[in-house]
Amino acid sequence: MEFVSPEGLRLDGRRPMEMRQIRGEIGAVAKADGSAFFEMGNTKVIAAVYGPREVENRSQQISDQALVRCEYTMANFSTGDRVRKPKGDRRSTEISLVIRQTMEACILTHLMPRSQIDIFVQVLQADGGTRSACINAATLALADAGIPMRDLVTSCSAGYLNSTPLLDLNYVEDSAGGPDVTVGILPKLDKVTLLQMDAKLPMDIFENVMQLAIEGCKAIANYIRELLLENTKQLEYRRGP
Amino acid sequence: MRGLQLSLNQTQKLRLQRALDQLESLSSKANSNASVAVADTIPVNYEDCVLKGHGTLELDGEVVATLCGVVERVNKLVYVRTLRARYKPETGDIIVGRVTEIAPKRWRLDINFSQDAVLMLSSMNLPDGIQRRRTAVDELNMRSIFEENDIVCAEVRGFQHDGSLHLQARSQKYGKLERGQVLTISPYLVKRRKQHLHYLEEFGVDLILGCNGFIWVGEHVEAKGTLIEDQTDKAEQLNTKSSSSTFMSLEEQERTYTSLETRQNICRIANAVRVLANLGFSVTVEVIKETVYLSSSLNLDIHEMLGSEFYVLVAEGEATRKSMFTKKKG
Amino acid sequence: MVGLSVGEKHFIQGGIAQDLRTDGRRRLTYRPFNVETGVIPQANGSARVRLGGTDVIASVKAELGKPSPSQPDKGKVNIYVDCSPTAAPMFEGRGGEELSTELSGALQHCLLGGKSGAGAGIDLSSLVVVEGKVCWDLYIDGLVVSSDGNLLDALGAAIKAALTNTGIPKVEVAVGASGDGLPEVDISDDEYLQFDTSGVPVIVTLTKVGRHYIVDATLEEESQMSSAVSVSVSGQGRICGLIKRGGAGLDPSVILDMISVAKHVSEQLMNKLDSEISAAEACEEES
Repeated sequence: MEFVSPEGLRLDGRRPMEMRQIRGEIGAVAKADGSAFFEMGNTKVIAAVYGPREVENRSQQISDQALVRCEYTMANFSTGDRVRKPKGDRRSTEISLVIRQTMEACILTHLMPRSQIDIFVQVLQADGGTRSACINAATLALADAGIPMRDLVTSCSAGYLNSTPLLDLNYVEDSAGGPDVTVGILPKLDKVTLLQMDAKLPMDIFENVMQLAIEGCKAIANYIRELLLENTKQLEYRRGP
Repeated sequence: MRGLQLSLNQTQKLRLQRALDQLESLSSKANSNASVAVADTIPVNYEDCVLKGHGTLELDGEVVATLCGVVERVNKLVYVRTLRARYKPETGDIIVGRVTEIAPKRWRLDINFSQDAVLMLSSMNLPDGIQRRRTAVDELNMRSIFEENDIVCAEVRGFQHDGSLHLQARSQKYGKLERGQVLTISPYLVKRRKQHLHYLEEFGVDLILGCNGFIWVGEHVEAKGTLIEDQTDKAEQLNTKSSSSTFMSLEEQERTYTSLETRQNICRIANAVRVLANLGFSVTVEVIKETVYLSSSLNLDIHEMLGSEFYVLVAEGEATRKSMFTKKKG
Repeated sequence: MVGLSVGEKHFIQGGIAQDLRTDGRRRLTYRPFNVETGVIPQANGSARVRLGGTDVIASVKAELGKPSPSQPDKGKVNIYVDCSPTAAPMFEGRGGEELSTELSGALQHCLLGGKSGAGAGIDLSSLVVVEGKVCWDLYIDGLVVSSDGNLLDALGAAIKAALTNTGIPKVEVAVGASGDGLPEVDISDDEYLQFDTSGVPVIVTLTKVGRHYIVDATLEEESQMSSAVSVSVSGQGRICGLIKRGGAGLDPSVILDMISVAKHVSEQLMNKLDSEISAAEACEEES
């Protein structure tokens, strides 16, 4: 199947190095300590953060740092074909784990000993790159909850189809069977915290694809930073002196 | 906009936007570039030795923010003042909390902090005399003072060596709060002031602006003579209540309800707090009162205060008030 | 679970008895609400309803299926609800399952009617493409994103809005197809049939606290309820379904009283909802 037309356009009309439209919104769930909505094209997710608060299960309490937990759920209507999946299937568990580890690495957990932070991400609509969207939403939600972090974490994916590196795969491109590289970076520290790839790819091409994904992450990081800064300014001027 | 799911019509949208723009222009003169997001570099003069405070981290010789907020500088100290976040306790803060657990010699309270706070039995004034040793009987009777889910007003005593946060309630102004409602708002909207416990005489209402963002609005309780009577009274009241509540008929219960007039005042004040907090405006007694007057002068039903039009009016009022204030100062 | 102190409970009960609730509402006043349609573009129809602090999303997906042999002239509708952990940490893992099942069941009662499909709020016969062979299966999914009481009414409203928003592709049946085999169908890509939702009922839940009952209870008020009656009322003022929850017993005369009150309240709710839906639809078309 042809994923890149001779004119160099993808199925949804994007250029190979073009990201889908991204949009973030802070404060999606009124009752949570922090929450955000994040959209990458047709992929839409909501993240809510509860805590830091008293650990619910005392036996899980860690004396010198915060306990970070994460749960990833997909709405029944989130995928193109409606499938009713039982909660806690393997794929969800794996993604929960990935998100938890990625976020835990950047939260300054030692500042909130003996407390618990819950991150819940809910996929409303899945169109490829849900992991990335969830991580981006979780970053926004954590920042909104006022939880101290080393750096922002942002994530983006890239693939390689028709001998062309493609940024930010959508569902059709993702399920084409080509390689899919998901990268998460700490933009300020300039480090990669998350890297996942399936399928095989020659080393030199892999480097290009990864670089492309990193560029995508950086673009998202800029967007997220602007969003947070704008939100902070708004909160400040409304509150007044 | 957070918590603001209003169906605004076109004019209301424009008016709200204009009011907010006005507020923005008023504040931008003061500190426009002091806001930071996570991982932003905070410019500092490296020749002075800088003390890195809360919300900062050193990275390759740069001072970097770990939170979103506003950079504050006090002498050599540089820190980030957070806006939306959980409560950061400071010794002496007056807070409102909810009892989560009764443990040996102590209560644990949820005060919107990263852990539950501890109120020791020994940090409480007991019925007879302040200096009395706490006996085993006192310990057994702890539940008659506060039980689970009770709302308690107390003061932050400080952190103990083990890192737990302790509270104290060594004055008759502190203690259990009944006959009213608690509202939860973001703590940055409550400013630390001399007074947090307010008796609004004209309304017959007690208003407590807890530093932790728990706001109590309730029927006014007359501070009773001495502590001794006060406490025994309370304990007795509670005993009779808990023992008889099961037998009390509905009619009897209804007789003890808050009077309608006071209730109207409580609800009006509570809704004023809700509107202000949802708009992200600071919540102070003066502004709350003004909002209440505004709603009464418009002859609004209490629940209409949560409608879109009133939100817009409050935002416009705030903008006018702030601009008057800056003009006066300037 | 909401933990309330004795004093707060007393205050809430007192407010309900005096017809002035904690947020200033009267017993039969709803919170302000807001409808947004088309929030899930991949679905055939979707809507998000925010009612005070409660926030729910409903989506409708249509798939071609085969009608059940016992009812060859009717399509099928399935309703499922999920409670997202974003709404409350309590719903984490399997924590929301009980509530989800309860809500799904209540919605099925209120909107779908009995086994025969008679009296259903949703007209099932309009879903048939070829009698006995092909019909539309509607999958209605609700998701609770944020919860502050009265989930059932909010979900009911969201489903009504989502159905209004639903476009079902027009299906051409190949002429001459007969026999036992499935007839060939051609699903149109650009022609959609709008769903007639004037008959879809709204759900009004009356929560009984003390001697009185209230509509649109918040989470705190719900914690004080002795029992609740949910009535689904169609636009024509007919009762389409009814469900009583909560442990305490109710006097039959009280139930009849509650139904007539619910019917009265439903008229205002229906009007408000209809105007919100059309506003949301207009807003969606604009953007």
